[in-house]
Amino acid sequence: MTHFHWLLDGGIIGLYLLVTMAAGIAMRRYVGSLEDYLVAGREMNLHLGIASLAATEFGIITCMYTAQAGYTQGFSGAMPGICQALAMALIGITGFCIKPLRQAGAMTLPEMFEKRFGRNVRWLSGVVIVMGGLLNMGVFLQIGGKFLCTVAGFDLSNLTLIMAALLLMVVVYTVLGGMLSVLVTDFLQFVVMSAGLLVVSMLVLKNVGWDTLVKTVQTHHGVGGFNPLANPSLGWAFLINQFIANAAAALTWQAVIVRILSAKDSQTSQRIYTRTSFFFVCRFLLPGIWGIAALATLGWAPLKQISDAERAAIPASVQEKIAASPAGAPLAGLSAAETAQVPPDTQAKLADASLLAMPRFLSVFLPAGLMGLLIAAMLAADMSTNSSYMLSWGSVIYNDILAPFRRRAWTDRRAILWNRCIVALIGLYLLVFGLFYHIEGNVWSYLLLTGSIYLSSMSVLLIACCYWKRANNWGAIGGILLGAAVPVAHLTLEKLPSTSALAASIGKDVAGIAAFVGAAIGMVVGSLLKPQSRISS
Amino acid sequence: MMTLWLILTLAALLWYSSVTIYVSYKGASDIREMLARLKQRSPTSDDVKE
Repeated sequence: MTHFHWLLDGGIIGLYLLVTMAAGIAMRRYVGSLEDYLVAGREMNLHLGIASLAATEFGIITCMYTAQAGYTQGFSGAMPGICQALAMALIGITGFCIKPLRQAGAMTLPEMFEKRFGRNVRWLSGVVIVMGGLLNMGVFLQIGGKFLCTVAGFDLSNLTLIMAALLLMVVVYTVLGGMLSVLVTDFLQFVVMSAGLLVVSMLVLKNVGWDTLVKTVQTHHGVGGFNPLANPSLGWAFLINQFIANAAAALTWQAVIVRILSAKDSQTSQRIYTRTSFFFVCRFLLPGIWGIAALATLGWAPLKQISDAERAAIPASVQEKIAASPAGAPLAGLSAAETAQVPPDTQAKLADASLLAMPRFLSVFLPAGLMGLLIAAMLAADMSTNSSYMLSWGSVIYNDILAPFRRRAWTDRRAILWNRCIVALIGLYLLVFGLFYHIEGNVWSYLLLTGSIYLSSMSVLLIACCYWKRANNWGAIGGILLGAAVPVAHLTLEKLPSTSALAASIGKDVAGIAAFVGAAIGMVVGSLLKPQSRISS
Repeated sequence: MMTLWLILTLAALLWYSSVTIYVSYKGASDIREMLARLKQRSPTSDDVKE
């Protein structure tokens, strides 16, 4: 039974939503030009940049998958955050790629590529960025809705309604105020989100206790729960993929680099990266501890996720194996024949057990009042992420994919209207995708794989664009095609029943690394193949 | 290894608390300055002409 109190917790949430919506909508009157709408007139200063970047990069989905990582991998599940912090700090200190990117004065990455690789590469880059970004973002709403339903004790049949309400609020202020609304609401959301994260984390440590958390990790995960290299589901391939993909995301993820492009100058953009870097450790470690606390308190009982009728439909011997499975992998001990005896809907519910453990734990752990703060914090986290992502992908669609259709320069009013329509359409897509797509396996791996559709090729293009004189459009197209082909092929293999076992044996980490290697080969070979005479002409 | 995670957890809580307080204070002034500059620089959307 959840501790959610309609009057007290509902009041806190209502107040938060009212203030955020009012602030977001009020920004509409400051939008005078397209540059104001897409990059806040490039007037963003350091502390607003830190708040905005932190708020954007922490959504409900972040909290869910990091808690899931803590639940299924122990403390080792926080390693992606450490990799990400290292990558951000290194890039911030050296200015690697982000300094020339800010100095180029572009509004998007493909716009910068046009100067070096031509119009076709700009258009193609835009398509790849939007495809990878929207696939990645497509699951945000569904997972956010599941969290809110579980914590507040609503039935999951209300998921569509919760998703639509969440989306509507974000779309309204993002459509009206663009990046200015995103920045101002991000700031408010950073404050609320951070307060919630810190209070809940401290309460978990105080009431569950550090020793209990350590003992739980030891019992369920052994040494692998503390040392990622001793964990069979992690290992070197995982760590290498994490570092490369997180460095690539820091360089090219449109929702992240829009902070570089919106910053006052390149020095400010570097400082935003350096000073936000440790936040990425917090964003994995703190919810990860919530996940471990969920395991310590509720234990691993996947069969409790399904109804009596669904349980009765599974043979007793299979039930025994599911009950004895390792935390987070309910079907791991089953043969193909045994798995087939579990109906697909029941399999999906069992697979969600580790994902929903943390919100289930919090729904009974937190007292009324703090529950309202937690939900407001998570709403804040989710709204800031969704608004920023919608605007980011929308800006690429307008600025780069639609560029060939704008033969003459558009007025600011027309351009802003188009951007508003695009953001609204992305919102509609999110709702539809969230309703129909179901993730297989670990959420973080899905996000990394879909992200690598463009992270691999775009990071290779950016590095070559900034630092390799011989790079040209042949190499750029080769890099884009090979970089996108690997993750798309892996996702396809995973979805086809006849090849899903092959996809699983390759693994998402190896597929992720292969995408970067493929993109680099495509860039080098393509650039070297282009005849020198055609380069000079 | 366990001590390392304990130190990292405490560092995360300490760092995040300080940054939240500092950025909450300084970020508000950043917003005020940004909006003032935007107001001075450009017309509002209602004034933009085709």
